[in-house]
Amino acid sequence: MPQRAALFARKGNAGSPLGVSWGFFVGQWKFPRRGRFVKLTNQLLRRMIFAAAALLLGAAPSRAQGAFHSSPASPVYREVTDETGRSVRIPQPLRRIVSLAPSLTETVYALGVQDRLVGDTEFCDYPPDAQKKTKVGGAINPSLEQIAALHPDLVLVTKGLNRLETVHALDNLGIPSYATDPHSVNDIIASSKKLADLLGVPDVGASVAAEMEHQLAALRQRLASSPAERVLFVVWHQPLISVGKHTFIADALRYAGAVSIVDAEQDWPQISLEEAARLQPDYLVFAASHSETAPPGLEALSTLPGWRILEAVTNRRYAVISDAVNRPAPRIVAAIEELARQLHPEAFVEKPENLNEKPAKEKMDKEKTEKDKNEKMPLPPVQPPHSAFSMLSGVLRSSDTVPGGRACAR
Amino acid sequence: MRPLTLRRLLLQCFALLLILFVVVVIAIKFGAVPVSLYALGRDLWNVLLHQRTNISSDYVLIIQNIRLPRILLGIIVGASLSVAGTSFQALLRNPLADPYVLGVSSGAGLGAILALILEPHLTLSPVFAALLTPLGAFLGAAATVAAVYFLGRREGQIDSTTLLLGGVITASFISAIIMFLMSTLTGNLRGLSFWLMGDLSTPLQKSVYWFLGIGFIAASGAIYTTASDLNLLLAGEKEAMHLGVDVPRIRLVVYIAASLLTGLAVSVSGAIGYVGLIVPHVMRLIFGSDHRTLLPTAAIGGAIAVVFADTLARTVVAPNELAVGAVTAVVGAPLFIYLLRRRLA
Repeated sequence: MPQRAALFARKGNAGSPLGVSWGFFVGQWKFPRRGRFVKLTNQLLRRMIFAAAALLLGAAPSRAQGAFHSSPASPVYREVTDETGRSVRIPQPLRRIVSLAPSLTETVYALGVQDRLVGDTEFCDYPPDAQKKTKVGGAINPSLEQIAALHPDLVLVTKGLNRLETVHALDNLGIPSYATDPHSVNDIIASSKKLADLLGVPDVGASVAAEMEHQLAALRQRLASSPAERVLFVVWHQPLISVGKHTFIADALRYAGAVSIVDAEQDWPQISLEEAARLQPDYLVFAASHSETAPPGLEALSTLPGWRILEAVTNRRYAVISDAVNRPAPRIVAAIEELARQLHPEAFVEKPENLNEKPAKEKMDKEKTEKDKNEKMPLPPVQPPHSAFSMLSGVLRSSDTVPGGRACAR
Repeated sequence: MRPLTLRRLLLQCFALLLILFVVVVIAIKFGAVPVSLYALGRDLWNVLLHQRTNISSDYVLIIQNIRLPRILLGIIVGASLSVAGTSFQALLRNPLADPYVLGVSSGAGLGAILALILEPHLTLSPVFAALLTPLGAFLGAAATVAAVYFLGRREGQIDSTTLLLGGVITASFISAIIMFLMSTLTGNLRGLSFWLMGDLSTPLQKSVYWFLGIGFIAASGAIYTTASDLNLLLAGEKEAMHLGVDVPRIRLVVYIAASLLTGLAVSVSGAIGYVGLIVPHVMRLIFGSDHRTLLPTAAIGGAIAVVFADTLARTVVAPNELAVGAVTAVVGAPLFIYLLRRRLA
């Protein structure tokens, strides 16, 4: 050390040709001959840095692998291929599940295995009980810590919502994840079945699937004679974002007797109003979710600059359905039927008993909103047939999240 | 002024490492899952005594698997960006240079995205496939530095206003290309928008940490060998040349190494801005502008800054997360304005 210190200090060298002070740029350092210092410090620093790096690198992730399964005896694994083609080793039976998408949470509830769901996202709000589960953050940026702390046997993800990075991160943590990737209503049914199988409740899965298929078949029969309406599904209104043809939403529209005017390869294409005006949809379809993403009072839409070029806006041909349509889960069938009832009221006329199924509370809501509507709404330019109208407003109560209940103002 | 001694350099670094240690402990303590420092200390004691079986608390797993890798990544990324910033400031003779402000981070991001897009179309061995993104990021960074450098040259001299403007314009041009790619391409590019803001939340494979660590040591080591020449370079290129500095060689070494550092950092963490700007400035104020001290202190300072910013990002809206780039930008951008105005005054 004394030797090194001497080399570095070199006070005698201060006056050497290179020991100049560089003023503004380098402060008032007087430094010894270049080269020597560098050589020595390099050697020393290199060693130091190596040692430090080795320490740091060795400390963290190296001992981490495989430490995750707290129960030492979890011997039974099942090798499955998920819907993105990844091969996943899943412990059996599954006792602790974390869902990273609202649709998956709903599916888990639909399959009746919600007691095994130990965590879900902040957006998982249906059924209301799902809100009480431990939250692991959002779907895009969940807290890995929170997930790990829940010690899940399996994390459910969906390709359309979650990030690939999250899946990789879970892989690195040794937490198995299973991804769904539905692109059509049939995919949703198949996907629910596969999940049921995975969760050890294939019977429930089969009956859920059968029920969905049954309802869809009944719907198809009803709509057989109704020509498809051309609709614009509004995912977001500023800017206008709609759905591409490979999405399950576009497929759901088909089941509801509608066809999306947007024929894009992309899943969530941004559409110019001009393009929308060129295609002139018969209806605008909105999914009413929570206050922050709900369409602004639909009344306001016609006052937004540019929107009046759409005939559907000037004629107020809107359909508002539950945001279940945004979620590839069994409940989507209800949303499809809801839309079908609004677009093709004539197909549902002869079966009024459906109205009676509505719970009493909703009826009260209905009366209230109806009053509301009468007070606030100008007469719609296009009068719907009377019988259909009363029918319609009954159905519409399920979209009671729409501000002011002006759901179907046509 | 006292001449530089090894003893003092080590003391300075030691002081900074101490601060880094405190910040790391804070980062370990706070997060979505609460951790008690006492229990942690007890468990650490057990680890030291090789009594691993005594560790019962399962949050140790969270710390080992999630927080420590993340802190480690923060350290490497922060140090890389800070050293890169210091080098760009010397290389371009502009105290406001920073990988983010100059658009180098954006360039690296574009390179990484192009690599991600190309990857499925190439048949590569897994090892090379893993290196493709960092390689793309490096090439993107290098190309951007070159572009900005030539944009900033006027009559053979680097004009600092033109340089900064060139950097800003290049950054916005590249951002536009990235937006274009993201809106035209289908597939899983959605995560990219999060990544572009700077994101350390994803634990990486173990080999990546080694790769990063070795890359950082090699590149910053190479820069450090030129530390004294960088001091002379600050006096002006011609002046340095007259004093016997091999300017083109130094420029090449620093240019490649700093681009490499930026590329590495961006490929794993996205664009975390302003670290490479603010940290070297603070270190210059405290320790002076001799690159032999500035480079190591800036490296440690960068690590401190990013680990701290990331701790904030993790905890402010827990269990959700902010992008760490948002945190550094909130602190860094006003400081940048302040530095800019002070320089103009």
